[in-house]
Amino acid sequence: MLRIFTILMAIFFAVTPIVGQEANDIVATKLSIAVEKNAPNIIKGSVKTASPIIAELVETDDPAAMRFLSLWQEKSLWYRKTDKRIFAVKEQEDGSFDLLDFNNLEVVANLPKKQIKQIKPNSGLRALIAESLVAFRLLNEDKQVRQEAVANLARSGKAQHLQPLRAALLIEQDQVLKNEMQRLETLLTVQFGETSQERVEAIKSTTDSLSVDTRANLNRIVATQIKLNSELPETANIARVISPGSTDFSVEQAYDLLIAADLAKPIPTVSERKQLLIDNIENGKVDGFTIHNLATEKNRDAAYLSLVADGKVPFWSPGLNAEILVAQYEFVEVFDEPDANVTTAAMAALDTIERKVAMSEFADVALDGLSLASIYFLAAIGLAITFGVMGVINMAHGEFIMMGAYTGYVVQQFITNYTVSIIVAVPLAFGVTFMAGVLMERLVIRHLYHRPLETLLATFGISVALQQLAKNIFGTQARPLTAPEWLDGALVINDVISISWIRIAIFGLSILFFVVLMVVLNKTRFGLETRAVTQNRRMAANMGINPNLINMLTFGLGSGIAGIAGVAIGLYAKVTSEMGGDYIVQSFMTVVVGGVGNIWGTLAGAVMIGFLQKGIEWFNPANTLAAQTYMIIFIIIFIQFRPRGIIALKGRAAGD
Amino acid sequence: MGGVLTKFLMKHPSILVFLGILSVFTLFVTVGSEAFGVGFISTSLVKTLGKTLCFCLIAIAMDLVWGYCGILSLGHFAFFGLGGYMIGMWLMYERTRLIVENSMANAALPPTPAEIQEAIGTQIFGVVGGAEIPTIWMFAHSLPIQLALVALVPGLLAFVFGWLAFRSRVTGVYLSILTQAMTLALALYLFQNDSGLRGNNGLSGLQNIPGLEAMPQSELSIYFFLLSALALGVGFLIAKLIVENKMGNVIMGIRDNEARVRFLGYHVETYKLFIFVLTAIMAAIAGAIYYPQAGIINPAEIAPIASIYLAVWVAIGGRGRIYGAVIGAALVSMLSSWFTGGQAPNIELGPLRVVWVDWWLVLLGLSFVAVTLYAPKGVGGLFDLLKTERSK
Repeated sequence: MLRIFTILMAIFFAVTPIVGQEANDIVATKLSIAVEKNAPNIIKGSVKTASPIIAELVETDDPAAMRFLSLWQEKSLWYRKTDKRIFAVKEQEDGSFDLLDFNNLEVVANLPKKQIKQIKPNSGLRALIAESLVAFRLLNEDKQVRQEAVANLARSGKAQHLQPLRAALLIEQDQVLKNEMQRLETLLTVQFGETSQERVEAIKSTTDSLSVDTRANLNRIVATQIKLNSELPETANIARVISPGSTDFSVEQAYDLLIAADLAKPIPTVSERKQLLIDNIENGKVDGFTIHNLATEKNRDAAYLSLVADGKVPFWSPGLNAEILVAQYEFVEVFDEPDANVTTAAMAALDTIERKVAMSEFADVALDGLSLASIYFLAAIGLAITFGVMGVINMAHGEFIMMGAYTGYVVQQFITNYTVSIIVAVPLAFGVTFMAGVLMERLVIRHLYHRPLETLLATFGISVALQQLAKNIFGTQARPLTAPEWLDGALVINDVISISWIRIAIFGLSILFFVVLMVVLNKTRFGLETRAVTQNRRMAANMGINPNLINMLTFGLGSGIAGIAGVAIGLYAKVTSEMGGDYIVQSFMTVVVGGVGNIWGTLAGAVMIGFLQKGIEWFNPANTLAAQTYMIIFIIIFIQFRPRGIIALKGRAAGD
Repeated sequence: MGGVLTKFLMKHPSILVFLGILSVFTLFVTVGSEAFGVGFISTSLVKTLGKTLCFCLIAIAMDLVWGYCGILSLGHFAFFGLGGYMIGMWLMYERTRLIVENSMANAALPPTPAEIQEAIGTQIFGVVGGAEIPTIWMFAHSLPIQLALVALVPGLLAFVFGWLAFRSRVTGVYLSILTQAMTLALALYLFQNDSGLRGNNGLSGLQNIPGLEAMPQSELSIYFFLLSALALGVGFLIAKLIVENKMGNVIMGIRDNEARVRFLGYHVETYKLFIFVLTAIMAAIAGAIYYPQAGIINPAEIAPIASIYLAVWVAIGGRGRIYGAVIGAALVSMLSSWFTGGQAPNIELGPLRVVWVDWWLVLLGLSFVAVTLYAPKGVGGLFDLLKTERSK
């Protein structure tokens, strides 16, 4: 009750300043008369009887009438049982109700609850009232209310809203809301503007917007129906002549139009004819044809024709061809909108918008490709070091990614502040996977340097074991790795182009990795030694480098990077024990396509694969599986022509 | 020809030993089966054994291509699956046709051929929202053609892929990754609903052989078991024929030093291609016998992981010896089904409880690492130890 009262007061204060006391008195009587006249119907509250009443009240153009409608909608109107007079009410502390005059909200009487009854309009009626109130609410002092009204209009704007919207636009102070109103005004003008000139102007000005509702609006204007040309009046706004049998207009549809226009009779279809044959079975025969002979289309037709000759079934003959019949008529697409100027302008505007949308979509696909490329790069960069630089095939690389992601998950169980937990998780993930990598190198890979294919199998064994281990520890369901709030949401450039902050962060991270690795490998003592060991292990050993130590550290570095990649990937995908497997084949392909043995190659490979996959998806958006299939086939073919990858090492470093 | 074969067999008694063991085993299972014997071997076990023999056959193929020719193919399960799909198409189509014709026999009007086709299409492809029978099913009504396709389709795929890869001298790890990509691409393709092979539903009901509805599964399983054994025996013989001849020396030469064999004037690519295609066909035949026993095939079966497991079997059994592949495949796949089937007793270690369903893969992975590190010759290497003991 208190809430209702508050709303009442709010409305009261909102309205009073606009209303002159004098005017109120005059119009108020109008309102009173209207209400009194329609009281039974207002109390009954059916949509059908109420809509003329609402129209009548709106027409009074009186704030008090609007307030009355609001009260009605909010179920705040009550009526006195004795004389069915309608009042607004205010509950008193003793449980009785003050009855208020809805014209000026002055107390008229006080009654116990038993003597009055609430008017409860149903939801359909409340929606109807809300719609008619929208225009009025556009002028409300409360910005919140105006915003809601605008949003309401955007959903279901009607012709009668155009004038109030324009009026509101003139006095609107808030710039954001004003822009939104302006946009809405244009859209409504496009649809309901009075003169053709006005509408064309409005249509032309919509071409700046790429939003879906602009396009929907324009599409509504250029909506067409297919009609028989001879059936149309002279003035019809014809879009184009369309011939039956084209992709969007089948012969059957054309024939149905002829039937509807009484120009043709329905042709019995195959199944209808079959049914008629069945209906005419007598003693195992259909008009002299034995049933078991009717197992071919030809015999069935013969039987049907003989039934036709007997006049038992509707006419049909094999030569009866809908195609020939419909060819004698001209079919046209007609705009629902009668004004040719408007439709032409709308078509042109749609063209322009679609061109812009296509360009934006292209940019969006490019961004998607870039983001996918950076994910592949992150996943593959660790592999590029272990596989590329050291020549070791680590099938457990995917499981290192998984380990990193689970490390992040475990950290989040202890540190609930997501920002802090990510800051802790990244170095920790590096540490964990670095140790795992070093351990693996010492225990397994060290013994297999001369048998590269067997490292593949041994590391596969480790991969299987690790995966199952993770499943045993963390269970099979996906675990969330929650991003901090500042990574929530997306960077929205326009209605088509947007990219989530996580993806931008991953992009930044991969750039960082790239730079750091380039520096480490090319500018530090460790990098120099790594490259030396890679190129010639024995010679490097002669120069005083400890190749075992270098290999161990390099492997640890590659694994550690996989761990960090795991945290990043876990942020935007779910953490499961199988997540490593999702990336391992792609990672290998990235490294191989790019060219083994250098970071630049991995970058090139990731960029190529990422863009390729998104590009193929763009052509066939419904089917990402197909996109992946075609991409892999492309890679297989690509390897035929550049077996050493995009950036191939030359000279001694190429090895073999 | 017969004389040559006899001479070959006399020269290599190990073949006779293997075939002998296989025959005894087959006889044992048949006698123990429910259909033809005392019945202490259940029908499902017969099926498992039959499937294991198929795994042994594809393991032989893997050993030929990897152990002898040095091509670590991580895609042979793609051929296995394709073989299964090819025979599965006939099984499913014919069975559906019989069912449809049966159900339509009582219709008011006898069905026309077009109506039957439509009903079959709806029955098979309704699950992926289609009703038309795709073009690739055009021979599905004919058993001989589909049987030929079992060999032809995977053979052709292997030929095209191998020709492209070997021609541009993709070797070693690169080739492995490429074959892995191939099987991944195929699996992803088959996962699509519009691939014409029912997407991720795969083909099902393959254990029911059209025309043999009256035969109980217990009897059918024995026939398929015998067929698997026969295929394995023939596969073993063919593999031996290849590796124990001059050709075997050439391909082993390719494995050990490809460049040197090329310099000796051999056309390395042709040899590799021959082995690759031959083993693909062997894999496909194994698949074609396997899936009627398994009853269902779907694209998940040819995911890259399956082919890696194949390499694992061969490595555990011992590469470069045909019987090693057989031992490895039989051992690991039987152990796998024993452990994951929940039959293995769980171990109670105080507070820790080892449930084998959960821990088997960990054990397998680690034992695989151990085999690679400490027993590169695999289980088959034990036989070498025995031999050297004896010769001392």
